[in-house]
Amino acid sequence: MNPRRVGALFWKELAHGSKTFMFIFAVLVPLVVTLVVRLLLGTIFSGKPRLGITDLGESQVPALAREIDSLVTRQFASDSELRLAVERGAVDMGLVLPAGFDQQLRDNEQVEVNAYLWGESLLKNRIILGSTIVFLLREVSGIEAPVEVVPITVGEGLSLSWEERLFPLLVMLTIVIGGTMVPATSLVEEKQKRTLRALVTTPATVGEVYLAKGLAGILLSTFVGVFVLLINQAFGAQPGLLILTVILAAAFAATLGLLLGTFTSDINSLFTIIKGLGLLIYAPAIVYMFPQIPEWVGKIFPTYYLLAPIIKISQGSASFSEVGVELAILVALIVLMVIVLGWLGGRQAQTAE
Amino acid sequence: MNWRIVWTLVRKDLKLFFRNRFFAFVSVLGLFAYIGIYYLLPGSVEEAIKIGLIADELPPIFDELQEEGLDLVLLDSEAELEQRLLDGDITVGYGLPDDLMAGLLSGSKQQIKVYFSYDFPEELKDAYIILFRELVFMMTGQELNVQAEEVVLGQDMAGAQIPPRRRMLPLMAVFVLMIETMGLSSLISAEVEEGTLTALFTTPMGARELFVGKGAAGAGMAFVQAALLIVATGGLRREPVLILAALLLGALLVTGVGFLMASGSRDLMSVMGWGILAVVVLALPSFSVLFPGLFTGWIKAIPSYYLVDTVHKVINFGAGWREVGANLLALLGLSLAFLGLGVATLQRRYR
Repeated sequence: MNPRRVGALFWKELAHGSKTFMFIFAVLVPLVVTLVVRLLLGTIFSGKPRLGITDLGESQVPALAREIDSLVTRQFASDSELRLAVERGAVDMGLVLPAGFDQQLRDNEQVEVNAYLWGESLLKNRIILGSTIVFLLREVSGIEAPVEVVPITVGEGLSLSWEERLFPLLVMLTIVIGGTMVPATSLVEEKQKRTLRALVTTPATVGEVYLAKGLAGILLSTFVGVFVLLINQAFGAQPGLLILTVILAAAFAATLGLLLGTFTSDINSLFTIIKGLGLLIYAPAIVYMFPQIPEWVGKIFPTYYLLAPIIKISQGSASFSEVGVELAILVALIVLMVIVLGWLGGRQAQTAE
Repeated sequence: MNWRIVWTLVRKDLKLFFRNRFFAFVSVLGLFAYIGIYYLLPGSVEEAIKIGLIADELPPIFDELQEEGLDLVLLDSEAELEQRLLDGDITVGYGLPDDLMAGLLSGSKQQIKVYFSYDFPEELKDAYIILFRELVFMMTGQELNVQAEEVVLGQDMAGAQIPPRRRMLPLMAVFVLMIETMGLSSLISAEVEEGTLTALFTTPMGARELFVGKGAAGAGMAFVQAALLIVATGGLRREPVLILAALLLGALLVTGVGFLMASGSRDLMSVMGWGILAVVVLALPSFSVLFPGLFTGWIKAIPSYYLVDTVHKVINFGAGWREVGANLLALLGLSLAFLGLGVATLQRRYR
């Protein structure tokens, strides 16, 4: 193993690979998914009723509405803008507040407001919006509720938001696309274009080619993985341990990618295998999405040991001793795959020669 | 135009397509998966708020609200309410004191317990607390001096909401059509890589026969699969000819996109790259059906909008030829334009 040759091959991999579709895909997909999840969970998937307000005066109602967490409140400049937003379902209900509205309310004068209701809005959203609007108007007029409400939580268990449930899938997607797909497609392309055979006729060995491709996958996967954790504000209390775990997870993914690339001879077969394995790879992330599924189900799948430490450190601020067993299993799995890869790679070298 | 040559080309392409394990596997598996997912999705919408009340009797005002979307269940004890909450039978529980009305009338502030399950979203709790406060105001007859003029915009679907599976159908149809397009592009790409396209051009077969053959194979496969999906999901119960016409035009549109993708691709990886981009762009209008209000008017600039909107309006709102006629005309024009553009670019690149 010559480090200079590995370095040269690694740089070639980065320079050439960074222009390929799979490389760009590996960088863009996690970022786009993060943005889409944030956008959708912040508004559409939140389950919150959406209220639109056009204030023709200087009412306190829009500001008070924005303080209520259980609503999504949007303000519109004119009646026609609000009407359009209700028509296309951007908000469930639209309220037009006339000039001098608050004063008329406080003086107990009869006041008229226009309300637009989106035809497809759910009955429960209509009820909640209706009661919330009346509550806001009472707040403005200074009427105090005759009851004191005591909220009580029944039962014990983990309450996870959809954002938290989807996060493991996002982490898995980031690690697998960059770590597995990039080395696998790169290796298969070299085989299809017969450049792998050309490479091993030079002083470079199959092992060095594999190592360079694996390192490129690890670098890409780690870089995108850390970036995704950063933009999701999920770096936890142990950043050093988290980065080490991401590197190990990326190494696992890259070794898996090289194994897949070694097994297959063309891109079609590679994608067919990846589609077939997809459920096994992503299964632990799916288990995380549904807390009703017992945790031991996730532990059956090897990828659990790359995902669980990242989630525990980033979301639960776990220490090294708390994720030590999972990390040891992850390292053992990497070593096992490297041994299989060494054996398969040796056979490949003989075929190439 | 020699139709025998066209037919030979179509048969050859169908054979080649099913020989490509990736696209054949994805196509067949995908179709079954889409149908399976459709039937796994909820077939109805839970619109009412299910409330458990610990009280001796239902206050009269609550009785009236049952018709407006509140589903009230009278319960005997706190234990029963907690069990119902944990079982998911009710959304929220209210514990009313025995002497609530008397207390309210006397002007003293009453204490009400509002019960939530542990997995109830924290940010939604406010809504149910506010709801109960307003119910109490209604019980005491304290109404605001506000006159609201309410206008329902669009068809009022209260009590007859479109189930999630029916909203997913246009998205599935576009996905099925687009996956087929990737198959067509891969066939052309494979012909270029293996040099058989150049060989075909040296035979007596004209360019017109070649593109009609390729287009018919691509559009035919896309149309048959999309139609099978719609049939299996019961989408042809209303206006079957209209739906099939829209799908056929959609198939022609994606075939044009497929030609464009093939002309811009060097190999299968490029087809994948362009294909995923095209699927994402063409699928965007379906998301406006899934999540109304997500996009503004610019979404109409994406050609697949006219297919999605037609399928959605016919299947979910019972629209007819008159209501979606303009959509079909736009789809026809765009399909012809994309086909023409696709054929021209392919011809220019490979002739």
